[in-house]
Amino acid sequence: MEFIVGGLFIYAGILKALDPMRFAVDIDNYKTVPWFIGVRLAFYLPWLEVLCGLALITRRLCLGGLLILVVLTSIFIAASIVAKARGLDITCGCFGHASKYLSFAGHLALDFAILAALLVLIFSALQPSEVLPRQSVLFR
Amino acid sequence: MLKQTVALILLAFLPAIGEAIYYRHKVSWQSPVPASETVTVDLARSWGDNAIWIDARPDNEFERDHVPGAIQLNEDRWNDLLGPFLATWSPEKKVVVYCSTQSCNLAIEVAQRLRNEAQIKYVFVLQGGWEEWLKKKR
Repeated sequence: MEFIVGGLFIYAGILKALDPMRFAVDIDNYKTVPWFIGVRLAFYLPWLEVLCGLALITRRLCLGGLLILVVLTSIFIAASIVAKARGLDITCGCFGHASKYLSFAGHLALDFAILAALLVLIFSALQPSEVLPRQSVLFR
Repeated sequence: MLKQTVALILLAFLPAIGEAIYYRHKVSWQSPVPASETVTVDLARSWGDNAIWIDARPDNEFERDHVPGAIQLNEDRWNDLLGPFLATWSPEKKVVVYCSTQSCNLAIEVAQRLRNEAQIKYVFVLQGGWEEWLKKKR
């Protein structure tokens, strides 16, 4: 499952990294951060996704990658719901502009499925280390 | 886990900064559209027949009302609508794209595509969009 989820984030990240201006406009559509922050996030977040995806596939820095992806996906789900509640017409931007034809329900279903997969991975990654003190897992 | 998280967060800055440097002259860092690529209603009107007005709003809003003479071109039906627009366009004409309000991004997206895909040089986003045009009309 690491390969599927990791590959998905690498694909999504590369699509956005190839067209940062479009992703900046997608972020701006959410009206949650000012443009000058959104445009900087548009350059940063795709690479963070790619690196986290690579971390999952190569199993290096895997736990860190999973934690970041869980946080990013959760923030994204919350932002999507808030934007919808505010009546904003958003394209999710999750797979660059390729995702603009997904319905809102489609976005949410996909995001929750990804979040569920990430949580399964994070718990399964933590499980074998139960014999170790909890502190060592968190701070290694 | 926290060390790994911090390491990834820091590592991601490297390609991001590299890409930002590469795009530094192509990106508007302070506002979605550089001031040089926007136009006020008054200035756009003064261009008269030298301007082509593009309505980037969804079909139903265009059908309800639009700037007289405006051509519809939105992302939903880009492939269908680009041909009719290009038939009326000529290189010396300025293209003015508008959507509903100042905060909508449809006009920005259409303007970007016209510049990048159709290689049209003189494309401007109307400041304040349709709402501003209505105010000035009164």
